[in-house]
Amino acid sequence: MQYDYKEKEVKINRREFLGFIGVLTAAIWSGLYAVTDVFVDRTKYIKMRTAGLYQDDEKQAARQSHKNKSLMNMYKSLNFSPTSPLAEELFHTHYIDRSVL
Amino acid sequence: MEKDEKILHHSLSVRLFHWSLVLGFLPAGFTGVLLFLRPFGDDMMHLAMQIHIAGAWIMTIGCVLFFVLCPGRVARFWQEIFHWTKDDIDWMKVSGGYPHKILLGREIEVPPMGKINSGQKLMGIMVFFGGFIIIITGLVLYVALPLVPKEIAWYADKIHLIVGIALFLCVVGGHIPLGIYNWPEFVSMFGSGLLSKKHAEKHHPLWMDEIEKVK
Repeated sequence: MQYDYKEKEVKINRREFLGFIGVLTAAIWSGLYAVTDVFVDRTKYIKMRTAGLYQDDEKQAARQSHKNKSLMNMYKSLNFSPTSPLAEELFHTHYIDRSVL
Repeated sequence: MEKDEKILHHSLSVRLFHWSLVLGFLPAGFTGVLLFLRPFGDDMMHLAMQIHIAGAWIMTIGCVLFFVLCPGRVARFWQEIFHWTKDDIDWMKVSGGYPHKILLGREIEVPPMGKINSGQKLMGIMVFFGGFIIIITGLVLYVALPLVPKEIAWYADKIHLIVGIALFLCVVGGHIPLGIYNWPEFVSMFGSGLLSKKHAEKHHPLWMDEIEKVK
């Protein structure tokens, strides 16, 4: 390609270089800090939630559904059993893979 | 008759990089709007998503290659877009005289500009930060969705949407029409990379100090 003029070579002075490195460092540092904070928070909430569930479990008098009188009474009064087709139809849930969008 | 001398306005690497933005950002932007509005059925939306991802990869690879292979040009771009003077403020106040030229058909006096004008500087800043943000948030949504906390995924989704649409509107509504309006500059960016010295002296008077004769 024929041309008569071109731009002069790029010159970066020390102030521009330090400014660029400073801005870049600040951006990466704040970004990592914010992301780490979210991860730390998530771990904290998961642990709190787990502790809460264990606590609820310990407080329960009947910890298994087949020993739960109120549940067994419901089956008896409606005249069907936990493994019957009607129970399957009413209570069974299906797995849906939502990891692939 | 005096010879119309040529200036190398955009080097091959810059033109290739710009082409990668055109071929990557535009399809990704159009399909991004479709994915937001969801006007079609499942098959069409799936195709739009595939085009969106392909466009995003083209843009990302173009940006990474340009940053790694042409750091000098990136530094020059930084210098150009962040160097603001009173002339730039005055230029912005009259929108570079474009409304007068396009709507009223008359030219007004505008402050002298360098290689890029103040509007392009503003666009450069938006593209630099906006591009960086949509690439990072897009990567989070595409490759790291099952790994990141829901909160980060939610913010990545919202930021990707808002910044992406804002950038797309600026590019389609401002940058492209004005780029086509300035036809010699359009030809320079998409073709030869050359600009006539006469044109440059009129539109980029301050840039004249930054060029040198080729030996």
